[in-house]
Amino acid sequence: MEVDDRFVVVTLIEGEVYCIEDLCTHDGGTLGDGEVEGNCIACPRHGAKFDLRTGNALTMPATEATLSHEVKVEDGKVFVQLAN
Amino acid sequence: MSAVADQNVGLGKFDRHGFDDFLAKRIDPTWLSDARKAAYAEFETMGWPNPRSENWMRSDLRGFRIEKYSIAHETETQTKLDAPVHLLEGVEIAGSVRSANGIVISEELDESLKAKGVLFGSLSRLSREKPELVKKYLHTLIDSSADRFAALQVAMWSDGYLLYVPRNVIIEKPLHIHASMTEGGSDLSHTLVILEEGAEATVLTECSSVTEQGSGMFCGGVELILGARSNLRDVSLQDWGQKVWHFAHKRASVGQDATLQWTLAAMGSRFAQVDQQVEMVAPGARSFVNGVMFTRDRQHLTYNTIQRHCAPHCTSDFLYKSVLQDRSRTVWRGMIKVDEGADKTDGYQRNDNLMLSDAARADSIPGLEIKADDVRCTHGSTSGRVDEELIFYARSRGFTRQEAILMIVTGFFQQIFDRITIESVREALGKAIARQVRQYE
Repeated sequence: MEVDDRFVVVTLIEGEVYCIEDLCTHDGGTLGDGEVEGNCIACPRHGAKFDLRTGNALTMPATEATLSHEVKVEDGKVFVQLAN
Repeated sequence: MSAVADQNVGLGKFDRHGFDDFLAKRIDPTWLSDARKAAYAEFETMGWPNPRSENWMRSDLRGFRIEKYSIAHETETQTKLDAPVHLLEGVEIAGSVRSANGIVISEELDESLKAKGVLFGSLSRLSREKPELVKKYLHTLIDSSADRFAALQVAMWSDGYLLYVPRNVIIEKPLHIHASMTEGGSDLSHTLVILEEGAEATVLTECSSVTEQGSGMFCGGVELILGARSNLRDVSLQDWGQKVWHFAHKRASVGQDATLQWTLAAMGSRFAQVDQQVEMVAPGARSFVNGVMFTRDRQHLTYNTIQRHCAPHCTSDFLYKSVLQDRSRTVWRGMIKVDEGADKTDGYQRNDNLMLSDAARADSIPGLEIKADDVRCTHGSTSGRVDEELIFYARSRGFTRQEAILMIVTGFFQQIFDRITIESVREALGKAIARQVRQYE
């Protein structure tokens, strides 16, 4: 999903909407096409897993968190505050 | 000069209808129209570059939408722009060409050079006036099947610049090319430089948008053809607005005992993907390439370079240096290719990266592919952070953080400056670098 020229992954987990940067911190590739399992998404290239709620890197080869963005839901619309 | 409003209103898009309209409005020789049609057929059948392919796997094209841009026509873009010019300060030039959205709007060349047979000006015009010359060289180095951007460029190059220097003619003063782009504009220009045997020239090219935050698309091609014993110094400064998509195929062919000194500086654009190849095609050819990349915000610049040795006793020396700020990213992928029989090759490539923030990322991938027995090919790569102690020391002596960083960055690029023989270019690059250093609190 594109927000202000940047790509993000938006997910609904147990009734809560979360948004993280669509970027694997391991090789700079995209996460969006990765498989989602529970609270994590696995990078389709090398399998690094990230927490969809916090952006934290959970497994190698990623060691750094990807950005997590603030989300607000109003009248069924999702608003994202992009982090820098 | 006055800035122009959006010149793209009412112009065609990069699709079949737009292409047919583009072709109908042009006055091209038949051979050129046929070449365009063949390349457009390739464009239509190709997909955008595969993100899994080696050249594109570190590039993210998802934000690029060609339908946002329109074709600039020769008959419709005629107003000069207020885009900044940097390389001309204190330089006496022998000629200049200016373009807006890839269409030439002014051409000048010293009468004495015209008398010697030098050609310098609009590629569209000269392809009509000198069809045999242009046909002989145009797109002989760039292959339209390389990728979809190459096919688009070969099919729809709007105009561009031709420099032709006849045998043994030496042009002492530089020639200047300035390309400017309107907000949201497109530039599909092509540069063709032909130096006959023993000729010498210096070309300074710079491109800039009307505003620093300007958007747009550049899809260009460069072909430098150096005859035997010729000598070309080429400097290009890419300083597009921060939202421009920049795609370029740059090729050079260096003849027997000829020398190419090529400096490329990239400061602007949101995204840049440049495929550069220099071929040493006859014994004794020498090429020296300097690359300067200085990025900020979320810029992403990729340079794929190939230095190809097709003949023995040739030298190539590529040095690329990048400084990265904020969350920017650079990718440099260099390859020295030595063909069978190209013995006594001396090939060198190096890429140094200086990171000014934790979030910046530099990918550096040097490579060698050698099929000859007796060669000397070496490569190197370094990446690292600025030493905070250096900044602390400079600040303790009264410098601001910004001044301290500028000093360190200038020192980092010094090795490149030392290789640039034209003083005004060194000064202009120094100023461009100073502009790029962001404000620190």
